[in-house]
Amino acid sequence: METNGNWGIVGHEWAVALLRRAVARGTISHAYLLTGPPGVGKTTLARALAAALLCQGEGEPPCGACRACRLVAGGNHPDLHVVASERVGASLKIDQVRELQRQLALTPNEGRWRVAILRRFEEATTSAANALLKTLEEPPPYVVLAVLASDADRLLPTIVSRCQQVPLRPLPVAVVQQALIERWHAEPEQAELLAHLSGGRLGWAVRTLNDRTALRRRAQRLADLDHLLNISIIERFRYAERLARDPVATQETLDLWIGWWRDVMLVAAETDAPLTNVDRESALRDYAHRFGVERSAAVVEALRSAAERLKRNANPRLTLEVLMLDLPRP
Amino acid sequence: MAAQALYRKWRPRTFDEVVGQEHVVRTLRNALTSGRIHHAYLFAGPRGTGKTTMARLLAKAVNCLAPEDQRPCNECAICQAVNEGRLLDLIEIDAASNTGVDDVRELRERVGFRPNEARYKVYVIDEVHMLSNAAFNALLKTLEEPPPHAIFVLATTEPHKIPATVLSRCQRHDFRRIPVSEIVARLEWLTEQEHIRADREALTLIAHQATGSMRDAESLLDQLASYDEQGITVAEVRAALGIGTGETVIQVTDALVKSDVAQGLGAINTAVDEGADPRQFARQMVEHLRALLLLRLKSGVVPAYVSEDLRPRLEAQAAAFSPRALARAVRLFSQAAAEAKGGWQPQLPLEMAFIEAVLPPEPKSPAPGRKSASVSTRTPSPARRSRSSPTPTRAAPAHPVSRPPSSPQPKAVREPAPAYESLAPSVGSLTPEVLRSRWPELLNALRPRNLSLEALMRSCEPVAVEGDVVVLGFAHNFHRSKVEEEHNKQIVEDVLSSLIGQRYRVRCVLARRERTATASHRSKSEPVGGKVTSSVEQIIAEDPVVRAAVEDLGAQIVQRHE
Repeated sequence: METNGNWGIVGHEWAVALLRRAVARGTISHAYLLTGPPGVGKTTLARALAAALLCQGEGEPPCGACRACRLVAGGNHPDLHVVASERVGASLKIDQVRELQRQLALTPNEGRWRVAILRRFEEATTSAANALLKTLEEPPPYVVLAVLASDADRLLPTIVSRCQQVPLRPLPVAVVQQALIERWHAEPEQAELLAHLSGGRLGWAVRTLNDRTALRRRAQRLADLDHLLNISIIERFRYAERLARDPVATQETLDLWIGWWRDVMLVAAETDAPLTNVDRESALRDYAHRFGVERSAAVVEALRSAAERLKRNANPRLTLEVLMLDLPRP
Repeated sequence: MAAQALYRKWRPRTFDEVVGQEHVVRTLRNALTSGRIHHAYLFAGPRGTGKTTMARLLAKAVNCLAPEDQRPCNECAICQAVNEGRLLDLIEIDAASNTGVDDVRELRERVGFRPNEARYKVYVIDEVHMLSNAAFNALLKTLEEPPPHAIFVLATTEPHKIPATVLSRCQRHDFRRIPVSEIVARLEWLTEQEHIRADREALTLIAHQATGSMRDAESLLDQLASYDEQGITVAEVRAALGIGTGETVIQVTDALVKSDVAQGLGAINTAVDEGADPRQFARQMVEHLRALLLLRLKSGVVPAYVSEDLRPRLEAQAAAFSPRALARAVRLFSQAAAEAKGGWQPQLPLEMAFIEAVLPPEPKSPAPGRKSASVSTRTPSPARRSRSSPTPTRAAPAHPVSRPPSSPQPKAVREPAPAYESLAPSVGSLTPEVLRSRWPELLNALRPRNLSLEALMRSCEPVAVEGDVVVLGFAHNFHRSKVEEEHNKQIVEDVLSSLIGQRYRVRCVLARRERTATASHRSKSEPVGGKVTSSVEQIIAEDPVVRAAVEDLGAQIVQRHE
């Protein structure tokens, strides 16, 4: 953790080193593309970069104490522009990009830079993404853009090729665990579980830590899964109907089940790959014994295609009902 | 001040510096020297191939003050103004953010004014595919006959989105992807200019990754150069791109050979933990498996990266596979490469591809459409079948003893016979499945002879073949009796026989529209809608719909109607 200096970032050492050196040497590029799964730390890193650029304090930026640093931390710096779709799953509109372009055309208010952070840019509409192209290629000299996205392949190739890519990968479980204990004062046991469940996404782990009901929800959904395997199709359909009403819960449930069945598959295959649901090993063994590699792989596949279809706006209830038919029958 | 990215700093300033687009350069140069400059150009091609660069070069060249064969000179006032981005007569328009018809109207109003200092006003409309339809149409007249001092250059990555009326008014130049060798040469030149130390091998890897786009290659070089002063090595490029070592790929393939799921999944997870990007890894697997496939087929084509010392190992691996299994594995992994998108368990698609490649192919899904496979395909059917019901007693009535040997397998009681089985029967034997698959041909052949007969035949389907008699099942008695009429029947028999190449007769029966062997059985034993006097179990066994309702949905049979 110390290797990242005063940037305050956990992990991602090489990415931080890259950006720090660029800031120190003045070789900062005009456009960065940070990619990685949600909650892995893209926004945190982009904000740290903004703070480092905008910092007015002494010593190596960001000092964390000067006015600029405090304004960035509070999200109020006039030269930092954060653009994102209204909420997760909505789209980022062309008007937002145009508005950003208007603001970027003005010279900075306070310091030497204007920094723009475009979050979840994979949600940008085609016209919004295209509208950014020229700005992204040759912005005014005082502008640094940080485009954030879950995956470079979800963006236009013309966007990707204009940026320096900084792919953030999930952190090692041990790093997440340690950070949870040291920075967020989690109980060691809880930290271990969350670190494993997070799959290396620190942001997710911290959110879950602060959300008291999250673990209870997990237990409930795993119990649901167990229950579903023992009931008739009709009852399963009823469950699907209930679940489909809440898109957020649906997404969460599918993610959780995918993780679970992948574990079952790994246990059944007797590999030494690390598991996600470490606290339930005996249940996993039981499942693995019951279903074997082939069938658990089929369930993972069914869950994945359901999740993929939902992302493409399939009818939630219908998708879940198909999934219910695909789950192993009693 | 942000350091200028390499691709901006070293944007080519003369035609000679442009890489890989000789065909465009030659045409434009000839036009310049002969003074035949067109008034509208369209530059189309993938990203990073030099469209905007070429547009600016053209703007410089037409306005340059040097003698014609030396243009652009990069020394006169005009050239320098363009290089510094301050020539008033070079108007670059970002069509992606100015998409509307009003923007084009404004442009039209200004086109009329004479240039400020240069000979020509050059309008570069970048990302032109994003203009709205109305905007394109508003541009048409101007594009066709602009004032003599105006030149339009439209640049786009997606020429197919441009209306034909615009295309036909422009001289079109297609930019090509730049070959790896030329990218490497340019990168080497760049590293010299910038005093960056880099292995040739590392540069080749970068060029390979850039898939023909110079900007991609230069961005990557830029990034790697700012990361470490020690110079760019292959190991670093690998780390930055998340490329796994060739060794892991070979390990995973070994596990594939041995069908060792544990080892394979272990190797995949180790690779990802060590920083390999799952999608890159999937691509590497595809490349490796493809090399094996080429070796296995003794095609004589061996991918360049297979070195001589690796070759025996690869050949051993190749020999352990059947070509079919290899082709299948290539398909699975390339699917995984396409699928690995932003999930929070990035290695999952890889793991799934591996497991599927190890498992014996499911008999029913020969198509690559793993995703679109039906419900029954994906549920692990063998296990379920062996555990649950189709007991011999129930299944038995469905298989008449007298059935021809080539008729569908017992499975067909539950599901329509899969297409691949219908290809299996030995030459000469005709089955209802074969007939069904050729039914459209039959209908086509009937159409010219008798239109209404074709319509009638649409409402039936072949249910059985008994010797040289084809039994056709009809849903309605009216249709059946129509076809049964002697002259109609004659036509059907003629067409059918010429289609199959053997003489067949036709018998028409009344049958419910069920596409299974059940139907054929019933129509044979109890001709023409005869009563089925069977027990409840028999109905369940015979009718897949009823059976699914009873077994899967918990239905009960209360009453029967004939």
